[in-house]
Amino acid sequence: MISLRDVSLVYPNGTRALDSVDLEIAKGSFVFLVGHSGTGKSSLLRLLYREQLPSRGEVTVDDVRVDKLRRSRVPHLRRNVGVVFQDFKLLSDKTVWENVAFALQVTGARTKDVMRQVPRVLDLVALSHKSRMFPSELSGGEQQRTAIARALVNNPKILLCDEPTGNLDPANTNEVMDLLHRINLKGTTVLIATHNALVVDRMRRRVIRLEDGKIVADEERGYYLSGAERIDAPAQSA
Amino acid sequence: MDWGRVQFFFAEVGRSFTRNLMMQLTAIGTVAVTIVLLGSFLFTRATLGAIGDDVLKKIEISVFLRDTAGPADAKHLAAALSADPRIKSIAYIPRSLGLQQMRDRLRGQIDTSLLTTNPLPDALRVRVVDPADVRAVAAAIRKHPVVANVEYAEDAVQKLLRLSDVLGRIGLGIVILLILTAAIIISNTIRLTVFARRREIAIMQLVGASSAYIRLPFICEGFLDGILGALLALALLQLARYQLVPKVAAALPFIPMHATNINPATFALELLTIGAGVGILAAWLSVGRYLRA
Repeated sequence: MISLRDVSLVYPNGTRALDSVDLEIAKGSFVFLVGHSGTGKSSLLRLLYREQLPSRGEVTVDDVRVDKLRRSRVPHLRRNVGVVFQDFKLLSDKTVWENVAFALQVTGARTKDVMRQVPRVLDLVALSHKSRMFPSELSGGEQQRTAIARALVNNPKILLCDEPTGNLDPANTNEVMDLLHRINLKGTTVLIATHNALVVDRMRRRVIRLEDGKIVADEERGYYLSGAERIDAPAQSA
Repeated sequence: MDWGRVQFFFAEVGRSFTRNLMMQLTAIGTVAVTIVLLGSFLFTRATLGAIGDDVLKKIEISVFLRDTAGPADAKHLAAALSADPRIKSIAYIPRSLGLQQMRDRLRGQIDTSLLTTNPLPDALRVRVVDPADVRAVAAAIRKHPVVANVEYAEDAVQKLLRLSDVLGRIGLGIVILLILTAAIIISNTIRLTVFARRREIAIMQLVGASSAYIRLPFICEGFLDGILGALLALALLQLARYQLVPKVAAALPFIPMHATNINPATFALELLTIGAGVGILAAWLSVGRYLRA
């Protein structure tokens, strides 16, 4: 479903965000991308929805060579890849319903599809009863669930989440993670870049660790910290 | 037809248009001023052109025949000249008619009874279709063996031709400058709206809206700026047409203000098209630049 081959990304200021990264993610996976700030997690996600082009290497998403994709084909890729951010990126002058419907309307969906799809995803994220509210009237968790609903309304095969719980308290964090888990169970491939050790350790799913733009660990049922770090951690806190 | 989609689209255009209302009004005002100036200029140029054409059309080539040439030679020459497509009309003026016309023209200025003999040769008066051809046609006629001399107001023709040429060039320059100014102001207005809606545009791009779809509301906005400005200008020009032109015509009766062959409906349509076109083009360029960045 997602494949990176010998991918490097160097920004114009010389910063090497990714360095010879090789990665395969199967359809229907649930994967955490962990590492300190500035290790290349967000850059890697940006390559997948073609916000960024690699300096070298091949990026394939759902059998599409994203690094070779013509500019005019990018919208089609993005209808297949939902993206969720830490800061939600909701439109403050639109209601929950309008924010979610917006993603369909601007891609030219028919009104009857909008009327069918929006209630379906609002139901999935349990926000049907708040569909007429504006983002400023919602909790952080509800705002993030609205953003997830918007990302899902086009039925994407892949959901990319960049620090989805970064602005949330533990209760809202659990709510959002449970939702992402349920979405994954329905068959959507979910890739989450996160700093949240509790979330990663609770879910015990595949964990890919980045350091200085390189993949340094890839564990099938991993923890946030590597084995050595977990052993050292109690000593450090003592 | 999916009315929900149409309604959503126009709601977005309306929201975008009213977000920066002051700036939109500035753009509309600039387009209006530009179109008023453009309209006035085109009208003035057409009037001057009509006057010039009028004068040029009256220019004749006088062809004087040799004394040895008889009426048969004159008719023969006239027949030969009428085959030239550049020539509009040929009038044969026998020497007796020529004298009569001279007498009529000079009556009261000199005592024409002193003319006891007819000094004039037989002549042809030739008019051309396009005043620009006067010189070439005159030169061609001069080559005929029965022609003694050819006369026409050469200087006047050349000066008028030069003047209308220069006026045309200056006019074109002014029109281009005015249109550029309007385009720059509309482009800046659209850029401000694009900036105000950058979050929305980012989300549209994120969820997979096509560039054309993102562009379209802004193009509509540019179109509205252009067409509303042009409509305002047309109202002002119409006011001037009924209020100002009759007063100028009364004060300067020698200027034929209504001599132009401008059709008001076509003229209005042209100005509206220019206004709308400038708006659309300016919007297209400014959004395109933002989306590429």
